[in-house]
Amino acid sequence: MLKQSVNPDLSGNEPTIVSFLCNWCSYEGADKAGNARLSYPANIRIIRVMCSGRVDPQFVIQAFKEGASGVLILGCHPGDCHYKKGNYKALRRTYLLKKTLQQLGIEEERVRLDWVAAGEGERFAKVANEMAETIKNLGPLQLSV
Amino acid sequence: MAERIGVYVCKCGPNIGDKIDVDAIVNEVKGIKNIVTAKNHNLLCSEDGLKFLKSEIENEKLSRIVIAACTPKMYELKFMRVCEESGINPYLMQMTNIREQCAWVTPDKSAATEKAKSFVRAAINRVSSQEPIERKEIEIQPDVLVIGGGVAGLEACLSLAAQKGRKVYLVEKSPCIGGLVVRFEEVYPTMECAPCMLAPELQEVLQKENIETFTYSEIEDVVGSFGNFTVNIRKKARYVSEKDCIGCSACFEPCPVEVPNEYDEGLSKRKAIYIPFAGALPNVPVIDKDNCKQLNGEECKACEQACPFEAIKFDDEDKIIEKKVGGIILATGSKLLGTEALSRYGYGKFDNVLTALQLERLNASNGPTGGKILLKNGKEPKSVAFIYCVGRKEKEYCSGICCMYSIKLAHLLMEKFPDIKIYNFYSDICVPKKEHQKWYNEILDKGAKFIRSNEIPSISAEGEKLIVGIDDKKVSADMIILVPAIEPNPDTEKLAKIFDISQDERGFFSEEHTLMKSFSTALEGVFVVGNCQGPKDIGDAVAQGGAAAGSILSRLVPGEKLELEAIITEINEDLCGGCNTCISLCPYSAISRDVEKKIAVVDETLCRGCGTCVSACPTGAARAKHFTKEQIFAEIKEVAKC
Repeated sequence: MLKQSVNPDLSGNEPTIVSFLCNWCSYEGADKAGNARLSYPANIRIIRVMCSGRVDPQFVIQAFKEGASGVLILGCHPGDCHYKKGNYKALRRTYLLKKTLQQLGIEEERVRLDWVAAGEGERFAKVANEMAETIKNLGPLQLSV
Repeated sequence: MAERIGVYVCKCGPNIGDKIDVDAIVNEVKGIKNIVTAKNHNLLCSEDGLKFLKSEIENEKLSRIVIAACTPKMYELKFMRVCEESGINPYLMQMTNIREQCAWVTPDKSAATEKAKSFVRAAINRVSSQEPIERKEIEIQPDVLVIGGGVAGLEACLSLAAQKGRKVYLVEKSPCIGGLVVRFEEVYPTMECAPCMLAPELQEVLQKENIETFTYSEIEDVVGSFGNFTVNIRKKARYVSEKDCIGCSACFEPCPVEVPNEYDEGLSKRKAIYIPFAGALPNVPVIDKDNCKQLNGEECKACEQACPFEAIKFDDEDKIIEKKVGGIILATGSKLLGTEALSRYGYGKFDNVLTALQLERLNASNGPTGGKILLKNGKEPKSVAFIYCVGRKEKEYCSGICCMYSIKLAHLLMEKFPDIKIYNFYSDICVPKKEHQKWYNEILDKGAKFIRSNEIPSISAEGEKLIVGIDDKKVSADMIILVPAIEPNPDTEKLAKIFDISQDERGFFSEEHTLMKSFSTALEGVFVVGNCQGPKDIGDAVAQGGAAAGSILSRLVPGEKLELEAIITEINEDLCGGCNTCISLCPYSAISRDVEKKIAVVDETLCRGCGTCVSACPTGAARAKHFTKEQIFAEIKEVAKC
């Protein structure tokens, strides 16, 4: 059984959302959100990967184990992947991963795969805000012991 | 020896300094294991900041550093250089983005500070598991293979051959070079004579010492990767010695065989021994082995007897020639939509329904009529109807150049026959570029009629006249010119397989990126230029040929080594189970199977480090350098905390 090594902080701090952003599109999209001074909740925590296709399902599970309550995976829009089709591979993996997570009692909304282009600062902020809202409504992830 | 890690937090003036409590970050990380120093600085990217970093690394004898500042997209390379200059491997530095992705998006200072702390802790945790990476360099072969002797290929050859110390091999499928363009009389928008425009280029390619041209030759196979390809060229039997033949043409006349000449689009006949058209270069005939009597068991030898130089060699055989090259440029061109699709327009049924390319040949002084545009009955046409966009609906793309060359042909017809009536049936007119609109306006002014419809016209005949029927309108004309869609050459598929590159849904070679890398492919070192990449005009094709040559010139420098991508995948031989999962996923065909060891092997020249193979590897044998599972887990551990 999956166990969280860190108990979620229920004292007021928002549970974290670990966000894997591809180096070429989404990470730059997040930078653009910063350039435009768009705000989104501080519990969006970013990790840069070269491609959304690098996001191993283990990363997602590890994020939950380490205390995250949501995971965001962002890649280039379909057809725009810097590495041709890495984002499609991420799509396939995420689909299967969600099925597995559901069996573990983790709501599938806790994982969101989406596309943000390098110029899409507003879109990044929108996705980040929506995800934060989703996780707020679901509440902190509490895995059974 | 314990690691000595330094942490440097940049204030970026007020940008980070006012939004985040940088002192709080510095104080917090000071207690973390192996952190020997943590400091803030007003502006690390400034000259003063870089000097500060250098002296810190040297004085504190640091082995790794963390920089918390702006996005790594700004100055990561700059900071990596400082590391290198100060004696730390640049991959032992980790930047974390506390400006764009923290200070600027988090209005609440304490929330921003907490978030920044988690980013810095994550970077510290990650940097501890980072490994030095050496940038590898490999020996390369500066020679280049160009396939296709049309305008794009010629430009590539000449640009490449201008650099000393390199050989260029030009492989051309047909017996002569110059592609489609050399068969045109005049080209738009300059209206100059195409053979004259190309003659100096053709001569230079054939005579230049460091260009070796293989006409009537095809690519057999290729192995290797960027910098070091080995190619086998099939030089088809020509049955005429290029060494002995002087191009006197004495052999044509006595040949008893006559077949339609494909280089005149079937409008003339050629012999079994022939040159494609007058002035074709190189000026050496070829014997078409499918039609030659002697080569098909009938005693003939008429050409051999006529040749004053003993240049006819009936015992000639195909030869396979191996060449080693560093880069490959495909410039294999395009063709007009097949004749089958044209039959609904009366092509093949009515004598005076021709394709635009047939009209080009009729207009060419080296063509079947010596440049006279005549109807089948020998009379001059008094009215010509052009039907644009033939096959566009089925193809679902606009070839983009047909309007302009049709306008050019209409213009030429109006010059030749001042009283001629020109009808243009079109669905959309496409005349982009600075020079083109005026040609369109000019033929409009001269009275050319443009009739717009989305319907496919019906073609019928009334006596000697042809009738174009569309939307209840009927127009009678002496000649109908079909302007068909441009499609890839039939051997595109075969070449895509040989080179392991992909084709787009329209059948053209796929470029790496439609806009930013329109002439390279996903396979490093293999370029696609000219119409084999997509329909384009002469100027654009030449530009691509030059661009690909430039790309090769800057990377395959004679006498220099090629630096490889540092962040790539490596495979642990002991862990690999040989399942081949990674091989099927790699978008660059960078992974292959070592048959003896039964494991996967990464070609370091082809891998670009996306890491999708790593995510799928069931045994953990595949490892993404600088983005290993351990490194990502180290980051997760800190950022996931509330």
